[in-house]
Amino acid sequence: MISSKWTPYLFLLPAIVGLGIFSIYPAFQAFFSSLYSFSFVNQTNQFVGLQNYISEFTDPVFWNSVKVTLLFNVVINPLQIVLAFGLAILLNKRVKGIGFFRSIHFIPISVSLPIASVLFMIILNPDEGLVNSVLTSLGFHAQPFLHSSHQALWVIVGIATWKGVGYWAVFLLAGLQEVPSALYEAAALDGANKWTEFIKITFPLMKRSLTFVAVADTVANFLLFAPMYIMTDGGPNNSTDVLMYETIKNAYVNSNMGSADALIVMLIIIILIIIGVESKLLKPKH
Amino acid sequence: MENKKVMGKLVSYLLNIVLVFIVVLPLLFSITSSFRPHEDIFKYISPITWKTFIPTDITFSAYKDIFTESGFGRIFFNTFFVGIVTVALGLLVNSMAAFAFSVFSFRGKKIVFFIVLLTFMVPFEVIAVPLYKVVSSLGFIDSYSALIIPVVANGLVIFLYKQFFDDLPLSIFESARMDGASWWRIYYGIVLPLSKPVTITAGLLIFVGQWESFLWPLLATHSDQYRVIQVAMSTFSQEHATIWNQLFAASNLTIVVPAILLLFLQKYFVNGIANTGVKE
Repeated sequence: MISSKWTPYLFLLPAIVGLGIFSIYPAFQAFFSSLYSFSFVNQTNQFVGLQNYISEFTDPVFWNSVKVTLLFNVVINPLQIVLAFGLAILLNKRVKGIGFFRSIHFIPISVSLPIASVLFMIILNPDEGLVNSVLTSLGFHAQPFLHSSHQALWVIVGIATWKGVGYWAVFLLAGLQEVPSALYEAAALDGANKWTEFIKITFPLMKRSLTFVAVADTVANFLLFAPMYIMTDGGPNNSTDVLMYETIKNAYVNSNMGSADALIVMLIIIILIIIGVESKLLKPKH
Repeated sequence: MENKKVMGKLVSYLLNIVLVFIVVLPLLFSITSSFRPHEDIFKYISPITWKTFIPTDITFSAYKDIFTESGFGRIFFNTFFVGIVTVALGLLVNSMAAFAFSVFSFRGKKIVFFIVLLTFMVPFEVIAVPLYKVVSSLGFIDSYSALIIPVVANGLVIFLYKQFFDDLPLSIFESARMDGASWWRIYYGIVLPLSKPVTITAGLLIFVGQWESFLWPLLATHSDQYRVIQVAMSTFSQEHATIWNQLFAASNLTIVVPAILLLFLQKYFVNGIANTGVKE
């Protein structure tokens, strides 16, 4: 590390000013409003301390959301990271036509989640949807998909993964480009097989890119709510009612900003714990 | 050995082709529907035939209508303008910050970096209302500035650049300092040119973020002249909820435009810095 009195601060200045005004200050406002509650009697915000938090803790809906959020994330994060890494490795192969395949596999990046949600909702419609039409023509039973409390969450995992894997693969592909090809040539001369190559060369050198993807993907999935908002309203039977959806509902439907802010503070604490664990697991050893 | 190579190639082609189907099939429905006359959209879904996937009476009227009647030309211009300016400013501001975090040790570094990480964990929907007040007091509401300036500094992009810069050997900075280069010169003349792959991914991250942003443009602008794509899509789907072919045409356009951009960008992933011998 290099010490210099003023230089680092000058380089930081524009970003810190921007984040300070447009992110940190509004976030503090949101945090403080989690300590207030709107009183309809006085038409003002009243300081209630931790009351917004306590009323969440005693609400079974909150605990259901915690359960759904954790279940959703325990599945979707490892799934997306592993698939994105696999896709990146596949797309890093210098075979003929790889440019074409890359272009196709990256298309879902440009499909925004609301559009993907609407599209899949039409395709997965139990009565006149394309997927059920295919299933019945192949002799399978039609499925309820988003209308079943056993399937809905996993359908959303599928849709978000369809949309997300290509995106995260881009970051890993950029990382793979920086692994010196000389290392692989040397390994090949030593007669190393593909698996040893992966464990000894690719994985260790990809730890920084993987940390970025793990952290960013985890945050994105914990904050995901558009598919639930558009397709399921948290249902059926609250089976897709993640914490972020509860937050949005409290903030914009029930106009209960204080409780939405309390929810988000707790959500951020959960995220911090999880990405702390992830960064420990992926810490480069040198 | 030769056999093994051929097998490897075969497997990777096979995987690629399977993936192509997974990616393309859901979109194919939207593409064919947009070329169908409105009354035919749901006609061929069941039973499945080739007509389910290939339109028979091809018509471009849906596309023509959304440009002439709904003014999508202006909307595309706005979205691109906002996206490109944000990318240009964002790459500069955030890579500078990451450079400071990666290269220097300074007082308060840990806590400042932690706060930077926190900024991308706070969902935008939650700070939207307080942010509106800030932007309003700066007089930006209903202007391009409102859409661009608040999102230039981006904690996630700083983090992305930092992960990359952390791998650069400090020795190149030290020797450049010995040669009398200023820090700005080192950042601009040495570090940035080495950072092509990460800069492309960072640019993509920023552009996609702007292309998909909906809630903020909805709050921060209200006149038609600043309308961007997702806001337009949402109003469009509310007003034309039953004109399915136009709805599909509009959503296809929002997909195709960034997809074409990616088509050009993917070329750059073949020339990393791996073989320049700078990284250890």
